[in-house]
Amino acid sequence: MFTQFGATADTLSKASTLMFRFGTDAHLYDDPEDVNIAPLLDSKFDSEKCEALKRLLALIAQGFDVSNFFPQVVKNVASQSLEVKKLVYLYLLHYAEKRPNEALLSINSFQKDLGDTNPLVRAWALRTMAGIRLHVIAPLVLVAVGKCAKDTAVYVRKCAANALPKLHDLYLEENSSTIEEIVGTLLSDNSPGVVGAAAAAFTSVCPNNYSLIGRKYRRLCEILPDVEEWGQIVLIGILLRYAIARHGLVKESIMFSLHGRERSHSEKDDSDDDFAFKNDVSGTSGKYDSDLARTISRCYIEGPDEYLSRSSYANRISFEFNEAKFTSGRSNDEVKILLQGTSPLLWSNNSAVVVAAAGVHWIMAPREEVKRIVKPLLFLLRSSNTSKYVVLCNIQVFAKAMPSLFSPYFEDFFVVSSDSYQIKALKLEILCSIATDSSISSIFKEFQDYIRDPDRRFSADAVAAIGLCAKQIPNMASTCLERLLALAKQDLSTCDPGSTNGEAGILTQAIMSIKSIITQDPPTHEKVVIQLVRSLDSIKVPAARATIIWMIGEYRNLGEIIPRMLPIVLKYLAWSFTSEALETKLQILNTTVKVLSGAKGEEMQTFKKLGSYVIELAECDLNYDVRDRARFLKKLLPCSLDGGELELDTNCPPKKQDLPQVLAECMFQGQARQLSPESMDYRVYLPGSLSQIVLHAAPGYEPLPKPCSVLDHELDTNVIRGVDTLGEGADGTDSLSGSSYEESASDYSSERSMTVSSGDGGSDETSSTSEVDNTDPLIQLSDTGDANQNQNGAPQSASTDLEELMSKRSLETWLDAQPGLSILSTLEQSQLRKSSARISIRDISSRVKPKSYRLLDPANGNGLKVDYSFSPEISSISPLLVSVEVSFENCTDETISEVTLVDEESSKASDSSESSPSHKDVPTLVPMEEIALLEPGQTVKKIVHVCFHHHLLPLKLALHCNGKKLSVKLRPDIGYFVKPLPMDVETFTNKESRLPGMFEYTRSFTFIDHIGELNKETGDNALVKDNFLLVCESLALKMLSNANFSLVSVDMPISAKHDDVSGLCLRFSGEILSNAMPCLITITAEGKCSEPLNVLVKVNCEETVFGLNLLNRIVNFLS
Amino acid sequence: MLQCIFILSDSGEVMLEKQLIGHKVDRSICAWFWDQVISQGDSFKQQSVIASPTHYLFQIVREGITFLACTQLEMPPLMGIEFLCRVADVLSDYLEGLNEDVIKDNFVIVYELLDEMIDNGFPLTTEPNILREMIAPPNIVSKMLSVVTGNSSNVSDTLPGATASCVPWRTTDIKYANNEVYVDLVEEMDAIINRDGVLVKCEIYGEVQVNSHITGVPELTLSFANPSIMDDVRFHPCVRFRPWESHHILSFVPPDGLFKLMSYRVKKLKSTPIYVKPQITSDAGTCRINVMVGIRNDPGKMVDSITVQFQLPSCVLSADVTANHGTVTVFTNKMCNWSIDRIPKDRAPALSGTLMLETGLERLHVFPTFRVGFRIQGVALSGLQLDKLDLRVVPSRLYKGFRALTRSGLYEVRS
Repeated sequence: MFTQFGATADTLSKASTLMFRFGTDAHLYDDPEDVNIAPLLDSKFDSEKCEALKRLLALIAQGFDVSNFFPQVVKNVASQSLEVKKLVYLYLLHYAEKRPNEALLSINSFQKDLGDTNPLVRAWALRTMAGIRLHVIAPLVLVAVGKCAKDTAVYVRKCAANALPKLHDLYLEENSSTIEEIVGTLLSDNSPGVVGAAAAAFTSVCPNNYSLIGRKYRRLCEILPDVEEWGQIVLIGILLRYAIARHGLVKESIMFSLHGRERSHSEKDDSDDDFAFKNDVSGTSGKYDSDLARTISRCYIEGPDEYLSRSSYANRISFEFNEAKFTSGRSNDEVKILLQGTSPLLWSNNSAVVVAAAGVHWIMAPREEVKRIVKPLLFLLRSSNTSKYVVLCNIQVFAKAMPSLFSPYFEDFFVVSSDSYQIKALKLEILCSIATDSSISSIFKEFQDYIRDPDRRFSADAVAAIGLCAKQIPNMASTCLERLLALAKQDLSTCDPGSTNGEAGILTQAIMSIKSIITQDPPTHEKVVIQLVRSLDSIKVPAARATIIWMIGEYRNLGEIIPRMLPIVLKYLAWSFTSEALETKLQILNTTVKVLSGAKGEEMQTFKKLGSYVIELAECDLNYDVRDRARFLKKLLPCSLDGGELELDTNCPPKKQDLPQVLAECMFQGQARQLSPESMDYRVYLPGSLSQIVLHAAPGYEPLPKPCSVLDHELDTNVIRGVDTLGEGADGTDSLSGSSYEESASDYSSERSMTVSSGDGGSDETSSTSEVDNTDPLIQLSDTGDANQNQNGAPQSASTDLEELMSKRSLETWLDAQPGLSILSTLEQSQLRKSSARISIRDISSRVKPKSYRLLDPANGNGLKVDYSFSPEISSISPLLVSVEVSFENCTDETISEVTLVDEESSKASDSSESSPSHKDVPTLVPMEEIALLEPGQTVKKIVHVCFHHHLLPLKLALHCNGKKLSVKLRPDIGYFVKPLPMDVETFTNKESRLPGMFEYTRSFTFIDHIGELNKETGDNALVKDNFLLVCESLALKMLSNANFSLVSVDMPISAKHDDVSGLCLRFSGEILSNAMPCLITITAEGKCSEPLNVLVKVNCEETVFGLNLLNRIVNFLS
Repeated sequence: MLQCIFILSDSGEVMLEKQLIGHKVDRSICAWFWDQVISQGDSFKQQSVIASPTHYLFQIVREGITFLACTQLEMPPLMGIEFLCRVADVLSDYLEGLNEDVIKDNFVIVYELLDEMIDNGFPLTTEPNILREMIAPPNIVSKMLSVVTGNSSNVSDTLPGATASCVPWRTTDIKYANNEVYVDLVEEMDAIINRDGVLVKCEIYGEVQVNSHITGVPELTLSFANPSIMDDVRFHPCVRFRPWESHHILSFVPPDGLFKLMSYRVKKLKSTPIYVKPQITSDAGTCRINVMVGIRNDPGKMVDSITVQFQLPSCVLSADVTANHGTVTVFTNKMCNWSIDRIPKDRAPALSGTLMLETGLERLHVFPTFRVGFRIQGVALSGLQLDKLDLRVVPSRLYKGFRALTRSGLYEVRS
């Protein structure tokens, strides 16, 4: 009965929650696993897929690992429903890095989506494809980004800009120039939205490539107000850095006033506004702030390393700037335009933008204009509550360096009760630093209110602040002191020892503040000391007592009354010693010794007794610190404790040269040193940076660039620089991917070497020294040297040792290499302009000799030599198989028996059941029939059939002979994963037009093979064959002997110049074995017959990965 | 760039995680964060930037929900904070408020929104107008539909036109039968009255809120009669800077619906509309408290919703507080709230009471700060006046409305 009621109540409450939550995804979040997700994913209804994906998302949200569903989820990427797509993308992005192999399955779908007419689909595909961060597909993504960067939809271009940093993360070295090039294109985009995203890409991809900014600088400044807020933040930073690197700091700015203070004094007569400024600063804090600001500006420019290496202040002179590093803000247009562009941003609704803009003005604006940042910054404190703390941290630095800026607005820093403790403390500190004679009375009143604040920690801070203010503004000292004494007295009455920590803190702080005021001018405050000493008995807080006791020791000789009080006070201290706290005990010891060492005459004996009594007590103390101190003092002052010659010693210490004596004198007789301002030690970071908030250099923090570190001509020749770095990368890493740039690199070097030789007589060394002066690391001797080599006609790629190229490393470089985009466009244009004739070369097929590779060296194989070559024939077993002609040769004198070649995998599978030979994707070898006997010197040729499944990794085979097993590697050649597909030119162009956009890949390189042919021809036979034909032939031969294509046509240019082959065009066609997709290749050449040709290869193929790999292979063997 | 965003409930449960870049941030950072919150209390929740052992954290708290963003690299901290604020704004706009339940119930929408708002750690689309077109907010119709048909997509399949336009905050094709635009001046008065009863600081923080329902792409200009009294201003991105620089005129293409056009500040005001006079005397372990409230300068309109709030010092053991008008409540955390609403004609409201101090404590040395709340409709206390509102391309009929409201902001009376 009751259970029934319970049940009803339960269902009722369930029902009521349902009322609110019906129709939402609540149930999915609450019980994501209450149904079986897997079948839902395979459902044919979008709604069920959606539900399954939502459940998975809920599990992700709750922190479960659901990556085991990956394969099923990836399948759905091809779904037409955008909602399913979006959900799949969300899932993919979360797990792709964990499951790279399965993630690859989604690539083709992305490729298709990238060609979609809906920009939203294109953008999502690009975002996700770049977001899954797989190294293997990076080249594809790069191509896609390049395409999308030219998309018609703004949104897609924006996503392309956002994809660049993702790519950059993957790539690091190679291709960075292409990425930077795209950044450059996007930075000059028409839409401000894209520019903002491109700016973000710039900062993460190439923050120091100022050449990209150079020409666009003005436009970027002008477009700045239209860029969306997030982009503005980043762009402001870029422009500031550029302006400093290019023009240096501004002479009229705060940064300069601090470096060149001496200089500005010497220039008094011509800079009147300097004076206006100085007067403005109201004398008191003028010097202080300039010192500090010098530190600040140095910190902005110095990186953390330099800061650490600069161990002391002594060498700060070395960091002086020379006059040349400064520019005038009034005459320099580029600086002016930056300030103009950023000043309206001070009104922005986004606090980050305001702070960034304020930072620019702070660093670059002339002093008299810096004040325009004040009001917007202060307004942030009120208008955006969440950014308050960060803004205050920044204001704090500004206010310290230039208090005059903020001093009229002290009211804005008054504390309200809703402020958090951090904010209150910051406000106090700022108030202290901006207090002036005129405002101090109001500020002082405020401070007094704060003392009654319920937050006692804050009250203690306020008391400390009073002391600080009194220090800064001497007029206030007596008022402050009075107030502090009253406070101390009042606190005495309310505060029991240990009752509340807060009260004790306030009392301690009050005594400390009093102490700091007294140290400013001890003689006038004699009475205060006496008063404090008198109250010693009632003050129970150890820290406060210790401070007062310290004062006794310090001012023992002050005035008339204190010396007379000393014996009584010391007696009191000795009496209370045992009941004191640790710090007080230590302080009593110190004071006693101080008094003792300075004592004279009849008091001497009293002090001595007291001293030895206290030290004896201390030696038996429980605390070892106290015991240590006592022993130390005893050793240091043996004479003054038991002997009577002290008087003599103090009078003439140099005579006796008693070391402990002198030491003690230095320690106890010396006056308290003036402490250097603590602010000099602290580190300042750029305004608005994270480092400034956390007060250490966060990873990735970059100080401002060195002023004028970028010179004019470097910006003008930025194209050259780009190419230069490229050349370097290509030389260093691999011989394949770089080849497309060699042409341009050599262009550059020839140009340069010419100028050099005409200029200073020719040697590379001179050119390098002239460059070094510019301190630009990018243009260096090594580059020129490399480039010259290339030009001399010996590019590394000429050593086309295929064994080497087919190694694993070169495979990777295939995948990583990317087509040169810029060169493509120029080539295409020239191609369009020229008319051409079409010829065909019939007899060429007879001359084609497939290349042969070594499978087994006789040295390793007991005299058995095995070579193989890919045969153009189509396999007789299945069209999917690639036929390889293997020739076995017996180099020994004995017969070799039972030679056979089998799959290593399958042979392993026979003895271990773990590996699955039936796995679909593993390359397999169709077993070949065994060669029973191989006579000495006999060569047997066999055709083996291999199913590579498009794998480019070497296939491991086992060669059995004479009963032994040798493992060998068969390196696949992508050129033979196709079979010839004869067609006529019309069909070719027809098919080509159906494979545009994403299915088209191009690369260019330099072709030099024909030169050798040409030379040979001219040498052998004076009757010259047509040069054109020769070039065609060498290209076609090279092509056909390395890949299984059929030659469709050859277009010959008809041009006036007889040796200009520009426009020569060869077409090849083939069909992919596995899926019978057509694969079209077009080779276009440009240049002169007798010189290296600029050749562009274009592949049109529906299978993207295959197409790109094929392209790389072609470029590889042709160049 | 941001690496990860977590959304935490008020009990510290991680409701959502959204990884933004390949380098995943482990959830354990949230555990660390919550441990700190527990050990350091509320002051930790008020820190917007936290350096944890492994990451830098940015946090904002909205209605009990904590938004946490992580990064390991240098980036403008305000960018992270502002972005989180934007996320919170958009979410509370979509879900009509923020609490643990609505976020959990609509987690798919939250994911979709986050995915659209940030890409690779850099904000992508944060304009609420565009977002609304891309991802439909949950509403009763879509809920019904999903219950009935079990199938409804909230993801739009076309790209909003505004992404390409130069006014991304406005959707391109809006049609209204009645064209209306309302301009509200909402002002908050900040004041500090010190112990001696002196008005230390008195200023107005104001916002111009516009609610526009206009067909097409209208060009509005708004001018003030006395713009010079405004000390500081901040603008919505739609406001053009040039006209303001030259003539102090606001020229803008408004977003559709309600938005904050600008915020401003008027400083150095001379008086407040009401006075609050607290008196606290303490002797021999007991403490008398007296608070008087009254109208100082009649603003000409009714002052209502008057409240006085103060935190009793921790050394107070018990409090017995009564008022001759309104209701007084003392909460368990020793917060005392006196709501007066309107000041009656016949008598001045007064609060009086005795507080018992801790044993051993003779006198009070910590004094509460009184926070005053009020509201005045129809008046902008700063004296700011709208001059005129013009529409460049006038549709058939435009209805314009103006309103003003002043309420208390950080209004504090110290005792």
